[in-house]
Amino acid sequence: MPGFLVDFSNELANAVERAGASVISVPEGGREGVSGTIWREGVAVTAEHTIRGLDEVAIVLPSGETAKAAVAGRDYGTDIAVLKAANLAPAARLADETQARVGEIVLSVGRRREEGLAATHGLISAIGGPWRTGQGARIDRWLRLDLNPFPGFSGGPVVTARGEVIGMATSGPRRSAATIPVSTVNRVLDQLLQRGRIARGYFGVGIQPVAFPEATARALGIEGERGLLVVMVEPGGPAANAGILLGDIVVRVDGAELRGAHSLQGALDSEKIGQSVAVDVVRGGKLVQLNVVVAERPQK
Amino acid sequence: MTTTAVVNPEASSGISIGYSVGSISEWLRRVTVCIHGPRGTRGSGVIWQDGLIVTNAHVAVGKMHTVEFFDGRKAQGRLVARDPSVDLAAIAIEAAGLAVASIRSARELRAGEVVIAVGNPWDGEGAVSAGIVHRAAGTQPVIFADIRLAPGNSGGPLADARGNVVGVNSAIFQGLGCAVTSDAVKEFLKGAGVSEAA
Repeated sequence: MPGFLVDFSNELANAVERAGASVISVPEGGREGVSGTIWREGVAVTAEHTIRGLDEVAIVLPSGETAKAAVAGRDYGTDIAVLKAANLAPAARLADETQARVGEIVLSVGRRREEGLAATHGLISAIGGPWRTGQGARIDRWLRLDLNPFPGFSGGPVVTARGEVIGMATSGPRRSAATIPVSTVNRVLDQLLQRGRIARGYFGVGIQPVAFPEATARALGIEGERGLLVVMVEPGGPAANAGILLGDIVVRVDGAELRGAHSLQGALDSEKIGQSVAVDVVRGGKLVQLNVVVAERPQK
Repeated sequence: MTTTAVVNPEASSGISIGYSVGSISEWLRRVTVCIHGPRGTRGSGVIWQDGLIVTNAHVAVGKMHTVEFFDGRKAQGRLVARDPSVDLAAIAIEAAGLAVASIRSARELRAGEVVIAVGNPWDGEGAVSAGIVHRAAGTQPVIFADIRLAPGNSGGPLADARGNVVGVNSAIFQGLGCAVTSDAVKEFLKGAGVSEAA
């Protein structure tokens, strides 16, 4: 007589199987191979950092067959790379990640070369609002997982106990698993398929966070007591054209106070490209406002 | 020692995951023994059949072993077979009427199935941990599980959601639990000529 635990066990195994039908292996990725998720018919995503420098990768399909996939686009910021191949199917069942709840059981599913499907289980341990990666890209939702990442899990899906995908798994800081939620993958995927890359705003400055003495900050009306010291101005760049000088300390962009280097990248999302934004800098102990026309960050 | 509980518990009696894991664990503890090594170290073993305990080769190093049952009773065990290449050993004990593990082949286990381990890590006798099958073993002699094991788990049972033993916990690799499959144990016992002993 199948009991509660047996049902639960079967459900988890079914979820792995269901999700696994859309999980591929990318043997060249990372040190020991990584995974990929078939996101749409003919299109898979994987972790960009694991296949850097490759234009084409070998893949192992859910059927076990091997094929070649073209790297159709990559975004360093969100760690998403797009793979295209004719026989990538079926597409994963995507969930609305806004419905995810803290405490919900989740599985990280991957495929390892010939060994087949692999999974670890855990919980959603916290959910938060938008965050920025170390590369400055915006991720729409913070899904913190209590889950053991396993070798090759990157690029595979994070799925609910029903086998529905809530995001793409990749490695976070300190051997943790980070989740790029479905909404962010969709947004980045659309842009990558259209243009092959993600446009990012750009000032053309090198910066270093600095703290103001309390009295100076109060005198200038800077609440956060922090600014970004300009240590490099790219010749002919947007900042240079606007008259920003070496030694200026940027304190506000578009009226919003900056809180570290990430917040400057945050003020430079792709929708700002081509727009003029007001930049407050401290120069010679006084606040000066300049207008910088945000450009698109050049390709590396 | 109680000799009545020789079948798996009613899995359907569970009203929650916790309750279900609890009743399976209770059963598994009866078929798990603690093997005391020299210098206070300890490992685990599974009562595989009447009078025969299966454990890891790295747990059963000497000829004679003190085997402690779940109820605290002790018996002397004699090493009858040992193969470090598969990390398995068999110990014969003079004790009758023991609860014996029910065995399931690990070959049909699917990734994601619930597994439960019982063992004797330094900080807990008969300690239970639960997890899932990391990937199907197929015909491999080792099964990987996403489960938290500790050194004293060595030689103890890895069981499925019904309490059927599918492997003998043997190692921790890249954060995953590794168990020698029940199929490999059967082959080892057969090769050692002890499978028909009971």
